[in-house]
Amino acid sequence: MIVGGGISGLFTAYFLANRVDPEKILLVERSYIGSGSTLRCATGIRASFTTEEHIVLMKRSIEYWLELSRELGFYLRRGGYVWLLQEEHLDAFKEYSQLHNRFGVPTRIVDREFVAELVPSINQDMFAAALHDPLAMQADPFEVIHTLTRFLKSTGVKIQEFTEVTKLVLDHERKNVEAVVTNKGEIPAENIVVAAGTGTKNLLKSVGVDAPLEPLPKHILITMRYRRLFDPLLIDWASNSYIVQSRYGGFIVGAELAENTSGEAINRIDYMPHAVRIWSKFFKWFPKVYILRYWTGYYVMTPDHHPVYGPVEGVDGVYIAAGFSGHGFMLGPVTGYVTSRWVIDGDPGIAQAKNLMLARFTMGRLIREKAVIG
Amino acid sequence: MGGEMKKIRMCREHPAIVCRCEDITLEDIEKAIEAGCNNVQCVKTMLRLSMGPCQGRTCIPLIVRILARRLGKNPEELHVPSSRPPLVPLQAELFCR
Repeated sequence: MIVGGGISGLFTAYFLANRVDPEKILLVERSYIGSGSTLRCATGIRASFTTEEHIVLMKRSIEYWLELSRELGFYLRRGGYVWLLQEEHLDAFKEYSQLHNRFGVPTRIVDREFVAELVPSINQDMFAAALHDPLAMQADPFEVIHTLTRFLKSTGVKIQEFTEVTKLVLDHERKNVEAVVTNKGEIPAENIVVAAGTGTKNLLKSVGVDAPLEPLPKHILITMRYRRLFDPLLIDWASNSYIVQSRYGGFIVGAELAENTSGEAINRIDYMPHAVRIWSKFFKWFPKVYILRYWTGYYVMTPDHHPVYGPVEGVDGVYIAAGFSGHGFMLGPVTGYVTSRWVIDGDPGIAQAKNLMLARFTMGRLIREKAVIG
Repeated sequence: MGGEMKKIRMCREHPAIVCRCEDITLEDIEKAIEAGCNNVQCVKTMLRLSMGPCQGRTCIPLIVRILARRLGKNPEELHVPSSRPPLVPLQAELFCR
């Protein structure tokens, strides 16, 4: 059983269905498919991170994204990422770039003219140089979710929406999980993958497992549609903000506002001025665009900004795929792969994934990611 | 236009438009329902209904009625998508005066 019908749960079902009888797989979602973070995300996919774990897993994820977009037929655009940097950021990013290159991600530091070729209307006075990640891509979460759902149903995987799991149930020895309680009654299950985003922490708590997952409110807006002005997703590292032109032409803008973890994600009156001011400095046309919609969501953060993967010590049959710290959509395929391997083979199949198990927090083996944006 | 929508919209005979902003007809919606959509959010995310400049002011009441009728439900039972600011499209510079 998979708890959570977001990108992680759907891709886990996909990779499981390749190996076991699909009719034995049940995916439950508390609301509609994609309703948590997946359909609120900024659509970017990149491998330019600052740790071996993230770079290796994300690079594999990109390979799966390409393969699956051909196989299942969904949109994927290799627009790249451009990290706009100030003088004081350059030394750190030169080091990051060397790390990327070591693991086969061909990023490099580029000058303003290079950026101006990719993004002709940009104000070159606003940055000193940039890091270019040509491997990065943009997808369409809506289409991915529907394509996967339809494919999974056709194989015989059962998907139950509007079914909220309220707790996990252990057997009488309190060692193995044997069922879940939902708003529609109890459902027995041998193996349970908890990929429930913001709901994950409480579900694990119901079987005495404490996971350091904290939802952090995030803000994002989209403008009306315009003709394509540039392909890459741009990051202003100084303000921790990004802009990307979506598949349909709207500009998606995320910008960091100071927020507390576990606070409620509510619209803030200061968000739109904040986001508009940042990108009006980079683009003289930005003040003229029409803002269509502003929404909020969560990054489910862990102390080291890496996900929590794999089985849980002491509770047999429970597997975690959560705490993506803002990178759940892009990690989706590789999350599905390693989680399915753990469930079927007892091994994730990618060595770096083992470093991301829950036990790392009690053992003090944290792996810090520095490049979290938005 | 995406693969998902292309498949659904391959053949459009019915002229009744439900969502003007995103150019979605009654026939598109009936095909989405046939493809398994049984809630407003499913139709919205599959067809992009209500995601254009009017933000669903015209099409959400229509889709609620169409779905309620087709599924034999009371319209009140269907969850409608959240309204998001700024409700009508506003020029970015208005926020920086």
